[in-house]
Amino acid sequence: MLEYRNVHKSFDAGAGPLPVIKDFTMTIREGEFIVLLGPSGCGKSTLLRITAGLEPTSMGEVLIGGRPPDLRRRHRLGFVFQEPALMPWRDLVSNVTLGLEIRGVPKAERERQAGELLGLLGLKGFERYYPHQVSGGMKHRVAIARAYIVDPIILLMDEPFVALDAQTRESLQRDLQDLWQRRKKTVIFVTHNLEEAILIGTRIVVLSSRPATVLLDCKVELPMPRDPVSREFVALRQELRGLLV
Amino acid sequence: MAKMREAEPVVEIGEMTAAVSRERVQKLSRDRRRVIGFNSLSLLLFVLLWEGSSRLLHSVFFPGPLVVSRTFVVLLVEGDIQGYTLPYHAYVSLYRVLLGFGAACLTAIPLGIILGLWRPVYFGTRVVSEPLRFIPPLAWIPMAILFFSGLGRYVFLIWVGVFFPLFILTMNGVSTASPTFVDVARVLGASRSFIALRIIIPNALPQIVGAMRAVMSPAWMCIVAAEMVAAELVGLGQLINNYATLLRMDIVIVGMISIGILGLLLNEAFMAVERTLFRYRQEVKV
Ligand SMILES: Nc1ncnc2c1ncn2[C@@H]1O[C@H](COP(=O)(O)OP(=O)(O)OP(=O)(O)O)[C@@H](O)[C@H]1O
Ligand SMILES: [Mg+2]
Repeated sequence: MLEYRNVHKSFDAGAGPLPVIKDFTMTIREGEFIVLLGPSGCGKSTLLRITAGLEPTSMGEVLIGGRPPDLRRRHRLGFVFQEPALMPWRDLVSNVTLGLEIRGVPKAERERQAGELLGLLGLKGFERYYPHQVSGGMKHRVAIARAYIVDPIILLMDEPFVALDAQTRESLQRDLQDLWQRRKKTVIFVTHNLEEAILIGTRIVVLSSRPATVLLDCKVELPMPRDPVSREFVALRQELRGLLV
Repeated sequence: MAKMREAEPVVEIGEMTAAVSRERVQKLSRDRRRVIGFNSLSLLLFVLLWEGSSRLLHSVFFPGPLVVSRTFVVLLVEGDIQGYTLPYHAYVSLYRVLLGFGAACLTAIPLGIILGLWRPVYFGTRVVSEPLRFIPPLAWIPMAILFFSGLGRYVFLIWVGVFFPLFILTMNGVSTASPTFVDVARVLGASRSFIALRIIIPNALPQIVGAMRAVMSPAWMCIVAAEMVAAELVGLGQLINNYATLLRMDIVIVGMISIGILGLLLNEAFMAVERTLFRYRQEVKV
């Protein structure tokens, strides 16, 4: 279980404190697929960073299974950052296997798993390429593989599919759905794409502009796979659009 | 031309990749030819300018390229008055430079890495390190003469001149690691030592090797200055100094050019190492 209790966050960036998150309270059960929506600059990335323990809260607390996030305890956390941040001196395989390397998994096993994942993400044949030799969308896919490979219990994804074409995006959405259904991971997924939000989320949270407060928190009960032209789908999309503009 | 375009789509994939690599090889050799061409041209221009100005000046203290190349050959084959040949002078200086440079690398790079990872220590010691950094290496010569002799003196003076720039450049390289790289590793549960050894140091390595290349020039400055004040017979600085007092400017110029050429060769060697080591970086524009 993932709990946020009255989380406040403000940054001190020169010209006085900048309040970013205001009194955010939420309980996320295991296996929920949360989609986080909100205007640019409202604090979505910051919320993910706080969840991962990369950023302290200013007030309030985050509890993962009853305890505050602690990077040293290696919760099986997967974080797909907004930028791919691949290390230029590592080829694609070694970028993907980073988490396994940290856990001391033997090299042959690491490479086997990475090869499998890269194949799944449509990167077969590019294993030994370096980041500067692949396209922007390919980099994003590698970053996703790097998060998947540690088989995370909580998966934080910050606009992971933005740089992809419609087809790849759909196939990756399906893979993520599969993964989530088979392994019952808890996912927090940030996106600006309303269709995507309704297609994959079990719960949609809309944040206001800065400082972020919860504008809407609703369960999406539509059966999977969802039909983007069904009446309920369209109605929900209209509602979300109304909130966001 | 138009015909070739039409033919392209039926080319097999294997042939296509072969064509791509052939094209790349051709482009590379074309670029290389162009670079060599331009460099030959600028060398020629330089020599002509030199010859022209020496004729214009018409002074024994400013010999032209013809006189100097004759001296060059004499020094190469027969040696100077004492019988030391130019390659021997060069070898002795190079040996000293590399020893001092090695000593500086062994001290400045680890220290730069440690303080780059641990900036508070650097900021806490700046009141000592900054003034030291600003003392020109030449100001250390009296100390060097009093406390060192022979090879140790040269090594010390080169070390003094190279240590600080190398240290500062290394430290800056270390602290420019992208914070997101570190975050990626932290989320995956990396320890501090993993982050230092597998993220921060590899990230800084291109800058560190670049810094090693950059400090070769202060290293040569120091060796020449050090050799000029010493009472020895060999070394390029010594050659320059001894023959300056005899007003043999042709020999002085040969010494100067030798230093320049050695510097060029060392620089090229370093760049070759950088190119193979850091292939992953986008090609540096030639
Ligand atoms: N380290 C920091 N120091 C100061 N201000 C920060 C810092 N990180 C984020 N902010 C500020 O916090 C606000 C929220 O940033 P955040 O990255 O969380 O936005 P976001 O919702 O992810 O936006 P986007 O959709 O554009 O990615 C921004 O106004 C940003 O300027
Ligand atoms: Mg963001």
